[in-house]
Amino acid sequence: MINITVRINGEERALCVPASRTLLDALRNNLKLTGSKNACNQGVCGACTVLLDGMPVNACLVLAANVAGREIVTIEGLGEGGTLSPMQQAFIDAGAIQCGFCMSGMIVSATAFLAENPQPSRQEIRAALSGNLCRCSGYVRVIDAVILASERMGA
Amino acid sequence: MELHQPETIEQALALLAGDPGAMPLAGGATLVAMLNAELIEPSALISLAAIKELRTIETLADGALRLGAMISHADLAMEARLSGGHSVLRQAAAQIAHPSVRNIGTLGGAVAHGDPSSDLPAALVAVDAVIEMAGPAGKRSIAAGEFFEDYLTTALTEGEMVTAVRLPRLPENTAGHYEKFARVHGDYATLSVALILAMKGGECSYVRVALGSAGATPVRVPEAEARLLGSALDGGTVQDAAQLLSEASDPIDDVRGSAEYRLMLVPRLLQRALNAAEACAP
Repeated sequence: MINITVRINGEERALCVPASRTLLDALRNNLKLTGSKNACNQGVCGACTVLLDGMPVNACLVLAANVAGREIVTIEGLGEGGTLSPMQQAFIDAGAIQCGFCMSGMIVSATAFLAENPQPSRQEIRAALSGNLCRCSGYVRVIDAVILASERMGA
Repeated sequence: MELHQPETIEQALALLAGDPGAMPLAGGATLVAMLNAELIEPSALISLAAIKELRTIETLADGALRLGAMISHADLAMEARLSGGHSVLRQAAAQIAHPSVRNIGTLGGAVAHGDPSSDLPAALVAVDAVIEMAGPAGKRSIAAGEFFEDYLTTALTEGEMVTAVRLPRLPENTAGHYEKFARVHGDYATLSVALILAMKGGECSYVRVALGSAGATPVRVPEAEARLLGSALDGGTVQDAAQLLSEASDPIDDVRGSAEYRLMLVPRLLQRALNAAEACAP
């Protein structure tokens, strides 16, 4: 077992994990942060996307023991004090959420993307979110939501 | 399973030498996915993440560019020093999977994995890259064209790891282009063409072509390049070169396309790549 400390959603957390435990597993099972979803566990679907030092990564492809001392933000950490983030609110307002399973990853990816490209085209949004699969296939409103967030955040 | 986090290449090699069941862990984009699927059961993982030396990029005295093995695909895709013909690597890296995977996966990891349908191997062969390795018997280097030996099989031997990729200086005025044909954004290529080109007075003065997803290793055919060299890249010559490349290809049938379909793409993608490279050749 390996003892590490990581900063998760702004808080220092101590973790004791076996070497093979992924960050996703540690978030869900050690810390009970179940917003990040385990679907493919292969880095294909994007449902587990979190921010590692501000960059989107698939938490299922990262070993927890390898992120000691780094900064992680999950879907639970995007809003502040019970208020949704502009991206979360835009997803609701655009009607982008169907079953919801892929949404944590979508919203985390979209948040990182907009920080880098505040006024993207629909085509750029498609490319940025290509690693987030929605099996309800509700992509059009997801793109609408990112445009809406972009407009609101730029205003 | 144990996890080691050495801070130098020497420490990593000592750990590898001491445990035949240990594997080096680069970014994890492939290795952790394989662990999750229970396809591998290493006795230990030797994480290379803390070895600073593997993250350096330097220009050598002879003008070659040396890229550390732990450079991520995302950083490779943004690297301004990959200019001229070397930009083929930047373009290939930018088309690997998705942003969240490119932030994890590394140059050295992709090289060591040796998957012919991934994007970097063909680009590395096209730029005549040299793979630098370190192991129990010391350091050695081998041309990318010889490093990739078979499907998921490379020249790496027991206890060796990839430490860097060296890109020899290309002739002046080369342009690079990576033409990838995939079913959807971020998928593995159905077929890809990595191309380096220079034109002088309307004639091709330098060319390298390597195909990805066309066989067990990147496909390069010197005779095809010889056909293009000195020509004005007219349709007939390009068709001849494509024919030679197709004859040397041995693609697989899979969900991304049948072998027949992939062969049909060779002349089309070669033409597209030549058009694109010619348009940006100085």
